[in-house]
Amino acid sequence: MDLILPTGESYAHPKLCFFHVVFKAAALAFYILSALFFDSFVIIFVTTVLLAALDFWVVKNVSGRILVGLRWWNEINDEGESVWKFECLDQESLARMNKKDSWLFWWTLYLTALSWIVLGIFSLIRFEADYLLVVGVCLTLSIANIVGFTRCRKDAKKQFQAFASQTIASRFSSTIQSAFSIV
Amino acid sequence: MSHGDTIPLHSTSQSDIDEIENLIHSTLQSGPATVLPARPPSPPRIPVSSSPFIPSNLPPPPPVSHHKPTPVPAAAAAPPPPPQGSGGSGQQQGIGATGFGSPPNTLTEPVWDTVKRDLSRIVSNLKLVVFPNPYREDPGKALRDWDLWGPFFFIVFLGLVLSWSASVKKSEVFAVAFALLAAGAVILTLNVLLLGGHIIFFQSLSLLGYCLVPLDIGALVCMLYDNVILKVIVVCVTLAWSSWAAYPFMSTAVNPKRKALALYPVLLMYVSVGFLIVAID
Repeated sequence: MDLILPTGESYAHPKLCFFHVVFKAAALAFYILSALFFDSFVIIFVTTVLLAALDFWVVKNVSGRILVGLRWWNEINDEGESVWKFECLDQESLARMNKKDSWLFWWTLYLTALSWIVLGIFSLIRFEADYLLVVGVCLTLSIANIVGFTRCRKDAKKQFQAFASQTIASRFSSTIQSAFSIV
Repeated sequence: MSHGDTIPLHSTSQSDIDEIENLIHSTLQSGPATVLPARPPSPPRIPVSSSPFIPSNLPPPPPVSHHKPTPVPAAAAAPPPPPQGSGGSGQQQGIGATGFGSPPNTLTEPVWDTVKRDLSRIVSNLKLVVFPNPYREDPGKALRDWDLWGPFFFIVFLGLVLSWSASVKKSEVFAVAFALLAAGAVILTLNVLLLGGHIIFFQSLSLLGYCLVPLDIGALVCMLYDNVILKVIVVCVTLAWSSWAAYPFMSTAVNPKRKALALYPVLLMYVSVGFLIVAID
């Protein structure tokens, strides 16, 4: 992940990037602007939380897979324990991923969480407990996605290292075997 | 794109899961353990949510014969991983360059399939929790495919109904109801965990959310008919139903001496929600 927007290539999946951003932006915008139009807290709550939940679903299931090639989920195995599963594409496909896509993916994730934190601080200052509830729910969803994908990425890196060392070891042993067979 | 399906999919426990699932498949089906086709079957495999033994979000079995010996299968198809019970099944039709499945023509198509699948999951979880069925006694198996969408909708629905029934202070009623139910579910789960019980956090949250469905129905009835006696009767019935639904999961999770300690707060929470429903006017 780099700090500068990589130029020189366009988005590989522009529609998906749009959807990735639009639900987040809609939730934030609705929350901020709704106080001007709607009197009822219930509508604000339900709509904002619904948009945030839709965004969570889109990021977790669609844009995570396609933009950065990562997936995470939870399963309950036969012993009744919960197991977190992480999955990623292999290294060549990952290297081929569009840099701009993944830049957008990660940065919007972080920025959304940051915005919700800022909005939460505002509502704390104003002692609006019910708006804090909305912010709390949306923040939980954003952070869940961030944590899930970050762990997935770390797991992927660990896997690649293990795989690389395993490949080197196996190649080493096979060359030694072939050397002995020739002799 | 014939090269598309040779891109290996690198996953953590995928091969183990596939192995186990193939064993289960071969015992459940009468046919021999087949050599699976190199290509995933063209209709996307619908997750088997009716079987309690196979979690519905297992990926379709890749060709085991290719997969296991080497971490880089030479000619194995890369099965597009199914998303966790969701994510376009339409996206799994083709195998694109990413190895995950080609993006669909429109984003709306797979969304609908996904929504359908999630909805069916919610319905099946609902049936398992709220209605009598043989798997109730085993909490691990009963709510295997927990999901939080169902509980989310039911809690919001209850809050909305209570808010509509209230003639004043609608927003406060909604906020209080939502916060009470959400925080209550979390605290009840923590209670069981602290009593030394064996439950999974999210599974228990999911369960407590689904057990609210009878109270949802009760609240709806109370909103429509204003007779106090009818309200009390309806609330009592639905309260008993909710408690009956929650009982086996909670009680089997802790050791028998502490059963009452685990169950009493659950009962208390449902009684307070019942009071809220009756008292709203």
